[in-house]
Amino acid sequence: MTRKRLRVPVFEIVMLALGLLFVSPCFIALLNSFKTLREITLSPLALPSALAWDNYAYLFTGVKLAQPMLNSLLMCIAVILALVTTAPMAAYSIMRRDMRTGKFLRVFFLAGLTIPFQIIMVPLLQQFRLLGIQFTYLALLVHYVSWGLPLCIFIYSGFMATIPKELEESASIDGCGPIATFWRIIFPLLAPCTITVVIFWGLWIWNDFMQAFIIMGTNKGQLVFVQLWRFLSDKYVKNWNYIFAGVVVLSMPVTILYLAMQRRFIKGLMAGAIK
Amino acid sequence: MGNYVTRRARKVIHESLASLVLCGPALFLYAGFIVTPAILGFAYSLTDWTGWNRTPRFIGLANFREAFTDSRFFDAIRFTLFETALIVFFFSFGTMLLAILLDRLRVFKGAIRGLFFYPYILSILVSALLFQYLANYNEGVINTLLRGAGLGRFAQDWMGDPRWVAYFIFALVAWNGAGFFTTVYLANLQTIPADLYEAARIDGAGAFTVFTRIQFPMLLPTLTTNSVLALITGINLFPQIVVTTQGGPGWRTFSIGYYIYHLGVLSNRQGYAAAISFITFAALVAIAAVQVAILRRRQVAL
Repeated sequence: MTRKRLRVPVFEIVMLALGLLFVSPCFIALLNSFKTLREITLSPLALPSALAWDNYAYLFTGVKLAQPMLNSLLMCIAVILALVTTAPMAAYSIMRRDMRTGKFLRVFFLAGLTIPFQIIMVPLLQQFRLLGIQFTYLALLVHYVSWGLPLCIFIYSGFMATIPKELEESASIDGCGPIATFWRIIFPLLAPCTITVVIFWGLWIWNDFMQAFIIMGTNKGQLVFVQLWRFLSDKYVKNWNYIFAGVVVLSMPVTILYLAMQRRFIKGLMAGAIK
Repeated sequence: MGNYVTRRARKVIHESLASLVLCGPALFLYAGFIVTPAILGFAYSLTDWTGWNRTPRFIGLANFREAFTDSRFFDAIRFTLFETALIVFFFSFGTMLLAILLDRLRVFKGAIRGLFFYPYILSILVSALLFQYLANYNEGVINTLLRGAGLGRFAQDWMGDPRWVAYFIFALVAWNGAGFFTTVYLANLQTIPADLYEAARIDGAGAFTVFTRIQFPMLLPTLTTNSVLALITGINLFPQIVVTTQGGPGWRTFSIGYYIYHLGVLSNRQGYAAAISFITFAALVAIAAVQVAILRRRQVAL
């Protein structure tokens, strides 16, 4: 009789430990979000002696995060809706319709991938001022959509090359105009791309701090991370208890989505490699 | 005949209208709010524009000439290149090693890889705050551990100390981005055919030989992509600085990106800021081109 020896997966255990060590700053944040500031200072690594839910309550009474959370969510939805309609339409007209300018436009949009934000930052603010929309949600929306377009068009064009042309030909024989052909035949086939765009830009906009901070300034209504930043840069002493609670709450939606659909998520983020 | 012509004309008009509807919105937004400010930026770089209200005066290449004698700019270049070197090295080779280790997992594969990827989905502000906390003098975890181990005399204000701060900024960038670069390598590793490993095993090759003879050469294309992406990350280092040190202590952590922001948004020297951002952009494109050329040649040689 052969006895099968159970192999202890030493290597896997070591890697698991390293992985946990790697994300330990997140656990420390979670742990400390339940402590009072005094307790964080005295024993940063211990378990909380009592759960200080006040930290979380203060996010909504003191830091006033509820409205910014709604703002960010609406901004994500608006930008994504704009991107998943304008980008595939543009990609379709560049790739599939025999436009004389098609080749030029492809390169023109692609060039946008190389332009860093620092270069356009100051002139863009000036432009928004001249248009009378400086420091408004509209300005930020316009910026986010234009900023996202080159990458989205790039992703959509790449995918479009894999769709057989016969589909559109038969549609046009059936008397469909080009716009109807796009929406009825092509757009549904682009669903995998659309999911990628939703994941990538949804996460990007929710997490964005820098561009929102520069385009919107620091007054009035805000997106989540700018609001958190405003709160913590106001004070000379850092209220770590509130900061940790804020970090946990704002990372929660993306963490839940990540755990729920890890594979999709990673694939979506990889497609956005170049940004 | 006439009937044919009008039908043709109508078709042409119809088609161009369709193209306009399809491509118009994207073209308008992209041309209006990415290309226009980029061109305007170049125009501003030739002026002495200082703020919001004054009319800018054309001063030719004076801004560019000033940049080459500006010691603050040189300090920023030095700091940015230091960070970039660390970042490129880690995202090219550190994550390669990590990917090779993760590729050997037999159980808990998804879970362990998921842990290393996780920080990538967090906001830069979140990771910056976490690292600021770790490095904090009084209640920071690093100092707490040091004091606990009886090494309290090594405790310091890591991010306030000019000797250490550069490494902490690197650590923060590395932690945030490692998941991404590792995953790109992992995807490439999975395309290596199994019979190559099999042949190596029959020949009695050890893990190190497998790495130098099979994995490393097969990973070269990804090494090229990753090192260029890492270069861009390094040269454009900016939000991390705004959130953590704001250039301090002193001028120690003024990256080029932060210097541009400082000049353009905080000190009202838009023209000069634009000139510096174009110099940086040109340098980045040049370095990336050389880097790709070198790595490509090596790819061919193998």
